[in-house]
Amino acid sequence: MSENIFSNINKAFVRELKRIVRDPVYILGTVVVMTFCYVFFLTLFDEGLPQRMPVAVVDNDNSSLSRQYIRNVDATQLAKVTMHLANYTEARKEMQKGNVYAIIVIPHEFASDLYASRQPKLTFYVNDAYLVAGSLLLKDITYMSELTAGAAKQTTLLAKGFEDSRIMGIIQPVNIDTHLIGNPWANYGIYLLNVLLPGILQLMILMLTVYAVGTELKLKTSKEWLHNSGDSMLAALTGKILPYTIIFSVLGIIADILLYKFMHYPMNAGMTWMIITTILYVLAYQAMGILIIGTTPVLRDGVTLAAFYGLLGFTMAGFTFPIEQLPYPFRIFSEIFPIRHYFEIYVNQCLNGLPIGYSVAQLLSLVAFLVLPMFVFNRLKKAAIYQHYPIK
Amino acid sequence: MENNIKDESLFIQFIKNIRAMFHILVDEIKAIFKDRGVVIIVILATIVYPLLYCSLYKNETLINVPVAIVDDSHSSLSDKLTREIDATRDLKVEYKLNSMTEAEEYFKTGKVHGIVYIPADFNKNINSGKQANISVYSDMSSFLYYRAMILATNYVTLDMGDEIQINRLNAQGITGQQAEIVTSPVKYESNILYNQGMGFASFLMPAILILILHQTLVFGIGMAAGTAREENRFHELVSSSVHHGGLFRVIFGKSMAFFVLYMFWAVYMLGFIPDLFNLPHIGSVGTLLEFVVPFLLATVFFSMFLSVFNPARETQMVLLLFFSLILLFLSGISWPQSNISGFWKVFSYLFPATFGIQGYIKINTMGAGINEIHFEQVGLWIQTAVYFTLTSLAYFIQIRKSKKVN
Repeated sequence: MSENIFSNINKAFVRELKRIVRDPVYILGTVVVMTFCYVFFLTLFDEGLPQRMPVAVVDNDNSSLSRQYIRNVDATQLAKVTMHLANYTEARKEMQKGNVYAIIVIPHEFASDLYASRQPKLTFYVNDAYLVAGSLLLKDITYMSELTAGAAKQTTLLAKGFEDSRIMGIIQPVNIDTHLIGNPWANYGIYLLNVLLPGILQLMILMLTVYAVGTELKLKTSKEWLHNSGDSMLAALTGKILPYTIIFSVLGIIADILLYKFMHYPMNAGMTWMIITTILYVLAYQAMGILIIGTTPVLRDGVTLAAFYGLLGFTMAGFTFPIEQLPYPFRIFSEIFPIRHYFEIYVNQCLNGLPIGYSVAQLLSLVAFLVLPMFVFNRLKKAAIYQHYPIK
Repeated sequence: MENNIKDESLFIQFIKNIRAMFHILVDEIKAIFKDRGVVIIVILATIVYPLLYCSLYKNETLINVPVAIVDDSHSSLSDKLTREIDATRDLKVEYKLNSMTEAEEYFKTGKVHGIVYIPADFNKNINSGKQANISVYSDMSSFLYYRAMILATNYVTLDMGDEIQINRLNAQGITGQQAEIVTSPVKYESNILYNQGMGFASFLMPAILILILHQTLVFGIGMAAGTAREENRFHELVSSSVHHGGLFRVIFGKSMAFFVLYMFWAVYMLGFIPDLFNLPHIGSVGTLLEFVVPFLLATVFFSMFLSVFNPARETQMVLLLFFSLILLFLSGISWPQSNISGFWKVFSYLFPATFGIQGYIKINTMGAGINEIHFEQVGLWIQTAVYFTLTSLAYFIQIRKSKKVN
């Protein structure tokens, strides 16, 4: 009996391999798409943080002090002064064109006011329509201006006869020592890629699972497919998705290697658990794909539904906007997305370096997805035999 | 007299042409509604997606992120700091714990997303005029946690610092205006433009709205083409029964049907939705219109050209859905355009979504006029011309092929 089922699975497996060779969609949708995405995202974010973003300066003072200040801003890692403009209106137009993300306005008599203790005022404008560029530049420019002001304060205080040891206590009475857990550089690539790459992987798993099963129904080859595996739906399905389990697991593990070995992104626990998680993640999404095409055994509807669910995964992972801060119904809803559990395991393992004990619940959740195909077994079998669903 | 008749016949011909075009348009729109799969994409998805995503990101910023405080100072000053952190909009002091080990455990189990540690010498340092330190630990799984932690703690310590500074200077006999000048010799004013609240939805949603228009057009037109291919005997894109009116009729009918439908969606998506969900919308309607027309035309012809290569109804969506993510990052809304390398920048100019997202954000979020989006507008018109030509060429080849077969 058990030997029988293995030979039936094997038949479906071999049959599927032939299909993969015949229809280019399978190779395109696995190896080609994922390779493209790996190259695209790793080259796009290779700076880690966007460096030397364009900034405009309106220097109404044009003193050696103001020029020194501009050079200091230009020397920071994140900003590059690309434009010197005559007035704010001109600068704002450049900002609206997207040519600069920040504007610094230095007032008339900046240097002489500073030396005469008349508190001159620097004005900055950052464009938060581009949230990343805007927030980073605000931090960068504020920091540089603090330094400039700090130097002036120090000079004044020394002149007033303060001791060196007291000066820091006046310039900055309370200092914050910041620890960014797992990503001390606030690297944008680390933040995004660890979820984006698995995110695209789940999209392709869903699409190809639905497609591989759905085309059998659409092209009316389903009866032959089922018959070929001794009329066992279990064998037919297992043999069919097994090639993709292997391909996607390998692709997923390649992503793990690229991120943690090649890019040296933080990996504060064992690589083995991430590999196990990746394989479970692939299986969970294949199960979800079968549930979708089993619920609506029409290829076109299955693809549309899988697209909807797959795209929502990027939000439901919770890496852009944390799940606890979403409206309540969505918080519960996020549990039915394997990517949510994957994300939590990744944070625990890679960023925070916790023992695997902290992630048992999430690992079990991933395993729990594997029962889903059982709910649609009979429905899918009937659809395969009777082919009674519309094909368009 | 003769001249007159000629004029009249030309006029009548013109009217007839207009009427013929109108019929073609109506026929094509009917064809769209007959295909259930296409309707799901170009009607249902376009209605539902913006509503869903706007509700998801309804909370623009994080409110009351739970943090733990470990206060080894046990002083009135550290109490004050704790209270002030709790009072910020960003953070909420959920737990006051006795040791860092305990706090770490709360962090590991996800009960808190940040820890503030106030050391034993905090109060002593402040009282003796030295610099005091606190340590802040932030969850980095989401950048919004990080931002909330940094913003709130910086704000609170700077505020407290100002007070301490003045007290210390007063103690040294430096008072009033003079003390203020010593503490801040240079003032600065930072202005956050176009998204004052630094809101996440205000930043992301405008790009998503354009992307929804773009992608539903690509997949809708792709599926319609796939249907046409599957339904006629020779697997042709343009069946011979359709193209008797010639190349122009086919291309005109199809493109205009989707264009008209999507002008309607543009009003819904770019006008109604931002208003309903309080997203930025400071653009002028005239500028928006001058921009939306080339955006939709470019996208329609881009989609039609792409659909030539679509062998079956579902193939395009299976293989190209992931590209929505690529388009979002190519647009330069998140990772800034200035930092997209030469190759990917040129690559991004192939897609109407790139100009579309940039143009829409500039007009709608930043209030840019037509002069400021000249680059995007010209880009879209060039794309319209190029993709129209390519589509015509591809259709011409298809029609000639099918004539040969027949």
